[in-house]
Amino acid sequence: MDFVIGGAWQGKLAYAKETFQLAQEDIFYCTRQDMPDWSRRCVAGLEEYVLGCIQRGEAWQLRPRADAVLICRDIFCGVVPVEAPLRLWREETGRMAAEIARQADTVTRLFCGLAQRLK
Amino acid sequence: MTIFISGGCKNGKSTLAEEMARRLAGSGNLYYVATMIPQDGEDMERIRRHVRQRAGKGFQTLEQGRRLEDCLDGACQDGTFLVDSVTALLANEMFPADGPWDLQAGERTAQELCRFAGRVKNAVFVGDFLFSDAGIYDGPTEEYRRALALCHRRLADVCDSVVEVCAACCILHKGVMPE
Repeated sequence: MDFVIGGAWQGKLAYAKETFQLAQEDIFYCTRQDMPDWSRRCVAGLEEYVLGCIQRGEAWQLRPRADAVLICRDIFCGVVPVEAPLRLWREETGRMAAEIARQADTVTRLFCGLAQRLK
Repeated sequence: MTIFISGGCKNGKSTLAEEMARRLAGSGNLYYVATMIPQDGEDMERIRRHVRQRAGKGFQTLEQGRRLEDCLDGACQDGTFLVDSVTALLANEMFPADGPWDLQAGERTAQELCRFAGRVKNAVFVGDFLFSDAGIYDGPTEEYRRALALCHRRLADVCDSVVEVCAACCILHKGVMPE
């Protein structure tokens, strides 16, 4: 499993597409409404899935394929949000990212379109 | 040589950028491209503080809040230019105080920055990293963030070196530090 993380608009998806030769149909883009389609090779925007879970009061789950490419936005560095759901969103996404990083073979952070290998 | 510096607020980006620009310039022309267009007394005070801090460091100040390349008309392109910051420049291009908002300004500004980098001998660009928080923004604000990230990615692509500053320490993402 490979994990790609980075701030908003830093080029995570473009990096993953190129590095892992992903076609459009390989990628599931998470929404706040739906469960991720874990049968796809790449699940992108995991922070959106977590926000949906929090809005519905559910716990998030990870069911990636062994060869999965997971993409998540780093939302951890700002001021603690005033609104409770956003506070929870920030914390739960952080927990999920740490759990994915623990399981992943590689962790790559994107910074201004440049990849930095963390694991 | 061209360098792009990014990182969080008050982490020492500007100080590092000044130091690098002075090293690159040697005894040649050294320019500070001042990008802030003051809107109120608070801005004026900030500008006065920055001018004081730069005093005696050998910078010639070029006031250029928009249309970055225009500042080259009165400058020696063989010199070293410190552009601080991309953040302010883009905000001035997108949200001018004296005209309508231009939410499409990102692409134009990114191209202008890259052309500028190609026209001068040395340049150091500074941009704020504001992409890792848990905020959900209104349309124009998120559009600004997207455009700023575009400027950053393009600069990171064309510049020789890319440095992230954290707590006044440098993380080198590309290239080398100037001698």
